[in-house]
Amino acid sequence: MKNEQSWRFQMLGIGFFVIAAILILQTIRIQLSPESETFVSLAEGIYAGEEIEVLPPRGQIYDRKENLLAGNKTVYEIGVDLQFIDPTKGARDISMTLSTVLGLDFNEVMNIVSTPYSPAVAYLPIARSIPSDLALELLSQVADSRNAQTEGNDDYLRLHGLDFRPSLERRYPEQDLGSSVLGFMTQYNQSFYGVEQYYNSLLAGIPQKYWIPFDPNRVYELPDIPSGASLVLTIDREIQAMVENTIDEAKEKYDASSATVIVMEPKTGEILAMASTPRLNLNEYWLFDELYPTPKNADDPPVPYNRAISQSFEPGSVFKIFTMAAALDNGTVERDTIFFDPGYYKVGGITINNWDGLAYSEQDMVGCMRYSLNVCLAWIGSEMGADSFYDYMNAFGFGHVTGVDITGEVTGRLKEPGDDDWWPADLGTNTFGQGVSVTPIQIMQAVSALANEGRMVVPHVLKAFVDNGSQIPTHVQYAGSPISKETAENITDILAYSLEKEASNALVDGYRIAGKTGTAEIPTKYGYTREITNASFVGWGPTDDPQFIVYVWIEEPSATPNSIWGSKTAAPVFSQIVERLVVLMDLPPDQVRLSLKEN
Amino acid sequence: MRLSNWRHFDFWLLGAVSILIIFSIAMIDSAIAGNIELVENNTLGRQILFAGAGFIVIALVTILDYHVWITIGRVLYVIVGGFLAFIAVGGETAFGAARWLDVGFALVQPSELAKITVVIIAADFFAHNQDKIAKFLTVIRSAILPFGLVFFVIIQPDLSTSIVLLVIWGALLFASGLRLQHILIFLGLGTVLPFISWPFLEDYQKQRVAQFIFPDETARFGEEYNVLQSQITVGSGGLTGQGYRQGSQVQLRFLKVRHSDFIFSAIAEEFGFIGSVIIILILFFIIFRILRAAQLSYDTFGSMICYGIATLIAFQTVVNIGMNLTLLPVTGLPLPFISQGGSSLISLMLGIGLVESVIARHKVLEF
Repeated sequence: MKNEQSWRFQMLGIGFFVIAAILILQTIRIQLSPESETFVSLAEGIYAGEEIEVLPPRGQIYDRKENLLAGNKTVYEIGVDLQFIDPTKGARDISMTLSTVLGLDFNEVMNIVSTPYSPAVAYLPIARSIPSDLALELLSQVADSRNAQTEGNDDYLRLHGLDFRPSLERRYPEQDLGSSVLGFMTQYNQSFYGVEQYYNSLLAGIPQKYWIPFDPNRVYELPDIPSGASLVLTIDREIQAMVENTIDEAKEKYDASSATVIVMEPKTGEILAMASTPRLNLNEYWLFDELYPTPKNADDPPVPYNRAISQSFEPGSVFKIFTMAAALDNGTVERDTIFFDPGYYKVGGITINNWDGLAYSEQDMVGCMRYSLNVCLAWIGSEMGADSFYDYMNAFGFGHVTGVDITGEVTGRLKEPGDDDWWPADLGTNTFGQGVSVTPIQIMQAVSALANEGRMVVPHVLKAFVDNGSQIPTHVQYAGSPISKETAENITDILAYSLEKEASNALVDGYRIAGKTGTAEIPTKYGYTREITNASFVGWGPTDDPQFIVYVWIEEPSATPNSIWGSKTAAPVFSQIVERLVVLMDLPPDQVRLSLKEN
Repeated sequence: MRLSNWRHFDFWLLGAVSILIIFSIAMIDSAIAGNIELVENNTLGRQILFAGAGFIVIALVTILDYHVWITIGRVLYVIVGGFLAFIAVGGETAFGAARWLDVGFALVQPSELAKITVVIIAADFFAHNQDKIAKFLTVIRSAILPFGLVFFVIIQPDLSTSIVLLVIWGALLFASGLRLQHILIFLGLGTVLPFISWPFLEDYQKQRVAQFIFPDETARFGEEYNVLQSQITVGSGGLTGQGYRQGSQVQLRFLKVRHSDFIFSAIAEEFGFIGSVIIILILFFIIFRILRAAQLSYDTFGSMICYGIATLIAFQTVVNIGMNLTLLPVTGLPLPFISQGGSSLISLMLGIGLVESVIARHKVLEF
């Protein structure tokens, strides 16, 4: 029996030996074979750490005097880690606390919190954009319940699983001030319109990727993430506010559908103010759809967010200054050239009449501008010839974007000989601003040639950007010289003189202003109608050394039969704005300035 | 019989066991680092306490003549059987199976004690019935007592421990001279049984087997994840390992239950091929020392005890390491002397005490 047992023991011993050998062989296979490399790389790769992307804080936006227009504020997203909610009372306690502190609906929170945990649904957000004071209050309640728990007190709120995720949210301290220039950020970190969108990559900075080891023993460093560049705008907060107030009043007063104003420095192209109605409180960007509704009719144009750059329209008589400037520049006419106005002019098979249908007989060029004679301008256009006229209009930038640094600019339309829809009659009507569509910002750019010795500047809103602690200014950009310095001075003087002669509503005490009204009938399905107009005025001054260009555009003024006219609505608004503007810009009256200069 | 002197005490065996236990404590310390719950529960401290108690148990059991265990074994059988029956009714459930019994100061796992109990009960039976083993009736009778415990373990449900109990019984049956045709009957039964029992398995047990046969490479949690992670863990160890407390898989808790079921993977990652082979060799060295004791024992009861304990250690070692090396499906069997767990450690050290008691007395008749 002993022998019998003995071979059985030996068999067992051999069996164990074989098993041990198998285990060692498998160890070799996993640890030492070529295959093992993949395990090592797995361990050092996806299982050793993770790569996280860190978004730098978004750059801030200031006005030209470094008042904050857009900044960041820490807010919290409050959510729940479903895994850690106390199964007995957790859902009820959390819902009750959140409805008390944050004013949320108890049942809605209860619904979210009661979701059963699964690896796929482990975290659910409850509330976003919670300001830090409320988040801190909640945090202290969580701390209280922890303390009660450690002290063995059983009567405490089960707040386990409440999760706080801080993030930076865009805040606009001036609410709706300059909303069309600034644009806005949504909570999903997307930028829309304005400089927010135009300079998004600058503001956003470069997201940095870091590899974070899971191993607590491994040292790693989270480097300081440089925030996105901050922007200093050319916008002046005070001027912007003044302009916005003025157009709000004007819109009300003239019962207009909207009003738009741009204020720009003619020498630099710096936009001091750009305002239109309606404006959006940028902190409540979700009201966008109410203010700028998508048209129900697909054919209707959408409501533009920034009318100053995104809305093109027929400028009307304002356009005459460019026709006149072109004609003076290429010598077709001179200031003293006399035109005999019979009250009509035939061009391309159509007859052009003056705005009042009357004949003005003998007029020099000042008279043509003063009385805004369509007949005179149509004659000038014919004298110049289509090629020359359209060359000048192109040189003034019509039909092209100005390149202003705000998202959403449109081109307008300048029909030219050679285009399918251009007819010789268009030359006649284009000269006084019909059949051509432009944007307010194009008018600003074109006028800068007249107000800046013939050199046209590119309008812009970025004065400087601040990156890594250093301020990098932008430079003036020129967009060509469509006319000579002499022509610019000449047309400025003609316009100033005709305003004075007319005793225009646009005049400002103490400052010599050049400018021109425009009353453009709005083309509809049924042709031009007298009752619906775009009333506008563009002016600049002081004429000897222009410091500002102001463009006022009032859409569909309808308060009284008179208010459809640019001279009755846009011109007084212009005057009102300039009166306040010269104060804010510290511009002394011409007399004072000139006498100081002489001394 | 009195223990006349310590001359025959197997210091090699005790030494090997001590090395493993000390190493185990260091390894558990590394494996639980960063897990607040395990650290706060003083998992390590309690393991050290159990190890200390274990050495006292070895000393006491060695001094005691192992024949008293015939009696103690019967008492143990009743106690363990009672515990198991109680657990089957009202034990605490952990990880889907009720295996623990709260005795106030600790959670006791009676199924670990059941393993030693079956060794003693079966050894006793075969020692007395070796001459009648050719009769199939004796074979059936030998099964009665072990199967009583197996029943309660299965309904816990704890399939792997019940298999351990069956393997111990089977091994002793084999060693006591089971006839070839009976062996064939059992082999046949062993082949058919898994298929018959499949409908009675718990879901998690089915999953483990299914996942072992049809692995899902993309799993990020659950059993499949554990297996994949253990393979990565072992694989990333390489020849010399990443160093004590340096294994990223271990320290970062990708490897689950790394302080108990998957501690071999943790060893393999931190100490590499060399370290894991040394552990395997020490374990088999212990097994061979016990088999040596079985052969030197002066009576059949002694050798049967040693044989049973060798089988117990060997089977758990093979199944645990096999699972860590993805050779076998995931089971809850601990790695002898190394996996964290007091009940397992104490019962194994009790077993070592029994072996020492046998070996210390083997020369007594030579006087």
